[in-house]
Amino acid sequence: MALATKYEREFKMISDAYEKSGGDASKFLNKDIVSVIVSGDKLIGRNTVEGVDLRFRQIEDGVELWIEIRDNVRLKQPIHLCTGFMKEKGRQMILIHNRCGRNSEVRFLSHCVFPNGLEFTHKMIADTEVGEDSKLSYEDVHFHSDTGGVSVEATYNTLLRRGAEFGNYFNLTQGRVGKLRVKMKVDLQEDSSAQIESKVYERADDDVHITEELNLNGERASGLARTIVFATDKSKATIINRAYGNAPYSRAHIECKEIIKGDEVNVGTVPVLFVRDEKAELTHEASIGRVNLRQLETLMAKGLNEDEATEMIIRGLLR
Amino acid sequence: MLELRSVSLQRDGNEIIKDLSAEFREGHVYAVLGNNGVGKSTLAYIIMGLESYRNYSGSVVFDGQAIDDLTVSERAKLGITLGWQEPCRFDGITVKEYLTLGGKREVPSERLIGVLDIVGLPKDYLFRTVDSSLSGGERKRIELASVILIEPNVVVLDEPDSGIDLMSTSMINRVFDALSDSGTTLIVITHREEIAGMAEEAYLMCGGNMIKNGDPEEIIAYYRTACDDCRHVNEPLKKVN
Repeated sequence: MALATKYEREFKMISDAYEKSGGDASKFLNKDIVSVIVSGDKLIGRNTVEGVDLRFRQIEDGVELWIEIRDNVRLKQPIHLCTGFMKEKGRQMILIHNRCGRNSEVRFLSHCVFPNGLEFTHKMIADTEVGEDSKLSYEDVHFHSDTGGVSVEATYNTLLRRGAEFGNYFNLTQGRVGKLRVKMKVDLQEDSSAQIESKVYERADDDVHITEELNLNGERASGLARTIVFATDKSKATIINRAYGNAPYSRAHIECKEIIKGDEVNVGTVPVLFVRDEKAELTHEASIGRVNLRQLETLMAKGLNEDEATEMIIRGLLR
Repeated sequence: MLELRSVSLQRDGNEIIKDLSAEFREGHVYAVLGNNGVGKSTLAYIIMGLESYRNYSGSVVFDGQAIDDLTVSERAKLGITLGWQEPCRFDGITVKEYLTLGGKREVPSERLIGVLDIVGLPKDYLFRTVDSSLSGGERKRIELASVILIEPNVVVLDEPDSGIDLMSTSMINRVFDALSDSGTTLIVITHREEIAGMAEEAYLMCGGNMIKNGDPEEIIAYYRTACDDCRHVNEPLKKVN
């Protein structure tokens, strides 16, 4: 890993926060693993391997990254991205351009750590193209401060070429959420498939707005869009899951599960299905309510109290 | 140890349990035998104090104290538990977490493996998830394992063999032995004569009431003659005792 000496202290802070969020910081120092570390508006470390090209440039309040995986590259280890902001106040902008060639396979493991954010805004736009018959998954885990002062706007635009497989997983279950806006959009060409999923645990007055969209443009394209939100206290959540069946034999299922605890939560879900080809098939499933009583009583009958049982069920669901 | 005193419960205008009384002594194994639909599972839920079954009349008494006002958790803290007929699925929760209640209960690995062995599952099941990837029978075995680990004072096992193939009667026997070894009072709800035959004492349930109790062989013989062809669900037979 190329790490400028002057950033060693910053790297240590980011690594510590990264480990707290569930990451393994030792991967950053492994020369066989592709890794990128951004702190604030600076790229403080990076490493790449044969078959993966990395470029970056400084932009206002942040970094723009280009990650290109060439044809026929199958990475055994995930690409580790870590974006941190250690100060209490500020703004961070991250632009990512991922391009995966043909017949390649890669997994991204991204951690966004903002452990001290008090008045902090993080904006991220990831544009991804997955080549023919390639497989790419992008797992984005966030770890925010307990102040509720973090605001995140995360946008994922993805194009899947013929036969590509894609997974996009957003997870914010540790610390407070603050204000969260997530937009995931996938355009699918023929025989491609996508699974997009967001999992969020809200506390206090956290505010969440998630839109997941599947555009099934190619024959036999298929997708699953799923959101699971656990809303407590006075938190708010609006979830929109959309699927457009634009091609013959395209199939998609959208699913939203909002589990609530408390009388002051304010949550809603809007499923949107549009079929523009008679041979397309779209389904949806949505539920809003408290934790499944049967599950709750199963664990309570074994000795947990209601709060402990709720926590255990929710932790499992949000995993 | 556990007594049911004139317990009745109505649901949706139907009287599901009707003035039912029964007594279960410490450390004994009881069968509650009866056809489907006579109120056996409802009785289990009343004993456990499930939210939708708390509006019963009469009294459930544990060690001389009425526990009617106690919640499920509070009853569990007294050592009362329930082995469910159809155990739930839990997304994202491993068997090990389920058995240790997410780590709240410290159980040595050897003990976990030993209990899985009793229910006929290999140790690698500890890392499986208690979701739809497990069959109903596998979840049932895990449910029985969890009950053994609790070492409860009283357990109601609701149809412990349902979903498990007939060849596994010996496994059910091992579960009963493991629970008896820890001094547990077993109340085994069943419609199968073979399972009722493993008990020390049996009750025959019909139409929401206990219509007979005594030696399991006698109860089974009566069940075979009187209940096999009976389509009886909510109308009580003439009380025999």
